[in-house]
Amino acid sequence: MNGWTIALVVVAALAAAGGVGWSRLMKEHREARSLPLNAVDFGKLNDGTYHGAYEGGMYKWRANECQVTVSSGKVTDIQLVASKDPAAKNTQQEVLYDRVIQAQSLQVDTISSATLTSKAYLKAVENALVQAQHE
Amino acid sequence: MENRPVAQTTHRAMGTVMTHKAFGLHAEDSLEAVCREVARIEGLFSRFLPDSDISRVNGSAGTTSEKVSLETYDVLSKAVEFSRCFPGCFDVTIGPLVTLWKIGKGSLAQPDDASIKQVLPLVNYRDLILDPGEMTAGLRNGGQSVDLGGIGKGFAGDKIVEVFKEFDIASAYSNLGGNVVTLGAKPDGSPWQIGIQHPRQESGLIGSVSVANQTVVTSGDYQRYFTDSQGKRHHHILDPTTGYPAECGLISVSIVSDKSVAADPLSTVLFVAGMEKGLEFLRGFPQTEAILVDSNLQVYVTQGLRYRFQAAKGIEVTILD
Repeated sequence: MNGWTIALVVVAALAAAGGVGWSRLMKEHREARSLPLNAVDFGKLNDGTYHGAYEGGMYKWRANECQVTVSSGKVTDIQLVASKDPAAKNTQQEVLYDRVIQAQSLQVDTISSATLTSKAYLKAVENALVQAQHE
Repeated sequence: MENRPVAQTTHRAMGTVMTHKAFGLHAEDSLEAVCREVARIEGLFSRFLPDSDISRVNGSAGTTSEKVSLETYDVLSKAVEFSRCFPGCFDVTIGPLVTLWKIGKGSLAQPDDASIKQVLPLVNYRDLILDPGEMTAGLRNGGQSVDLGGIGKGFAGDKIVEVFKEFDIASAYSNLGGNVVTLGAKPDGSPWQIGIQHPRQESGLIGSVSVANQTVVTSGDYQRYFTDSQGKRHHHILDPTTGYPAECGLISVSIVSDKSVAADPLSTVLFVAGMEKGLEFLRGFPQTEAILVDSNLQVYVTQGLRYRFQAAKGIEVTILD
């Protein structure tokens, strides 16, 4: 009988620990997902080579370091220097880096907006011309 | 290097400004055909052209049904379907309210409460009678009217894509006054980058979304609005239940989907329904994603866009589960 009780207690303790662990993992996932990348003004970059590091994750398991090259004011190259993430060998991050290089700031082909009346368009042209006159 | 002809045109139609761009041998011809097609559809759907199918149906409200074209019948059936699926959020017979708020013709004006209460019973999609055998459409009561404002441009968007395909175009986009449709990817194989208008900054974006072969339709409270004497903003998306502009906490809703004719009414439905109910509605539409902005300017994107949405500088994004 005693053996069963001990076994049950052990199972309950493991389940509770698992639950806590899971909720922390979820919290961390949420954090990682909503990490903003908004501190950089891509329009004002000085040429050079820079190192950057991030120590993310509960056990710093997303810690990584990269090297960014800026020439003629644009990000031209990003290399992964070090990473604790074993998945980094799969070079997924290169896709992300390419996207940063391509994107710089947002370059769009066209804009989706709430229906604009033709009047509103003309108003915008007018506003632009008014500004042009002041300059 | 002119092995990939490109053509672009901008024109006024359906009460807005449209831009079309196509890459391909027959790019120039395709754009001419696209403009003709848009004009043809406007000729069927417009409430302001007296000979259009919709004008005839509205003119005969309460008396008789009118023969309509295949396209009009098609769009009316779809609009009724949406009205039935999302009661209180979308109603194709919203015409009398739209007229009262004078949407689409000049500026908005605040109608008085009594007039709103008076026309509200006229807004009822169940009174739109469609006869598939005779291809007719009719409204049961005098004073009722159909308005395709929440679906007509979506329908036109899909038609434009068909025209591009007929001309062997593999890469093109159309912007119908804010509704964007794309065909294929860009000529270099990369996806189109569609900017999403910032609802409170005229020349700003909240971000961009990568799409190929898809449509991006946005509903927001920031075009066609007026500010009353109390400083309250009134916009053009009316709640068919209350008769007043919808206020459910969202100020912009963008739908990314395969079919523009569905994305157009869906953006309205989500705007009127609000975030919680709206996201629940969205689950019934596979391959359909959304970008939502609430009144605190917080941006939310659905799971399927997590790698396709790029936020603009200073914009924080929450990925929805």
